[in-house]
Amino acid sequence: MSEFQLTEDQQDCLQELINIAMGQASDQLARYLDTFVYLKVPSIESVDAKDLLQILSQQQNTMAVVSQGFFGYEGIRGEALLAYQDEDSGRISDLLGYEPGELSEDEQLIDISSILTTTFLNVFARQIGNQMSYNAPKLLPSVQNSMSEHLQQISFSWDLALKVNINYQVTDYSFNCNMILLIPETAIINIKHVLDRILAEF
Amino acid sequence: MSPSVLICDDSNMARKQVLKSLPELWKHSVQTATNGAEALTILRDNSVEVLFLDLTMPGIDGVGVLQGIKKLNLDCSVFVISADIQPEMQAKVKALGAKEFIRKPVKPDILVSHLKNHGLL
Repeated sequence: MSEFQLTEDQQDCLQELINIAMGQASDQLARYLDTFVYLKVPSIESVDAKDLLQILSQQQNTMAVVSQGFFGYEGIRGEALLAYQDEDSGRISDLLGYEPGELSEDEQLIDISSILTTTFLNVFARQIGNQMSYNAPKLLPSVQNSMSEHLQQISFSWDLALKVNINYQVTDYSFNCNMILLIPETAIINIKHVLDRILAEF
Repeated sequence: MSPSVLICDDSNMARKQVLKSLPELWKHSVQTATNGAEALTILRDNSVEVLFLDLTMPGIDGVGVLQGIKKLNLDCSVFVISADIQPEMQAKVKALGAKEFIRKPVKPDILVSHLKNHGLL
């Protein structure tokens, strides 16, 4: 798995690109929710493909996962999973300020996920000189059973999962979710080249 | 004369980005800090004239540093450089005495124009 190891400089560079992308995603979220969003420094970790299912199943209270595919140039592509905790998904309608029954909980989750994912990835892509297009986001029904099936159905073989642990605090609410980016090997190699190019500028 | 400068950011790359954006003459008198606590120590013991400050850092964050500067009554021009670009945050840091809010990634021409606007160049 040495192909996926990042040097200290590459890791720092990637973390900074992600911080910038996350900052803009929370700005979008704040506008959407019409409130202030407090953002912690997102921690990132890479997970081997074979370990991902186990890690996800360990997070027992992860209940809802929204999945969205993304495509850029030069082999940059992947699948973004947003995993929500049980206790948070029930609060989402409060957060979004919807009237009861206005929009189903599922639709709300898909809404908020798509804002986070596309803003985050758009800003990330811009920084590495790329541009993304997206598939429609979809909510996986009852995660426990469908996760492994879903992971197998993804149309490319992904080799690395980059787990970005996001913690948003929205006024009185603390709102946790994990963004997991599943990335194939070609995309990882490409991203590493781009990181090196950025680092070489300094 | 170039002013004494402190760059505070937890990311090495972000610090280099700021350093690279500075006017040539300023680059010789730059100190760096990787977190808020380190920045406050340097600020307390030295006469830093211009501080470039990140907000989202582990431990004492940028807002904590601004509060510290106020409490210690230090005379220092602070330019916040942050990825957290929400209007409320921009208003908050300005209320705490920051001269300017600059969004990441920082661009040399924008940084220099802010320094000119505040009579530092």
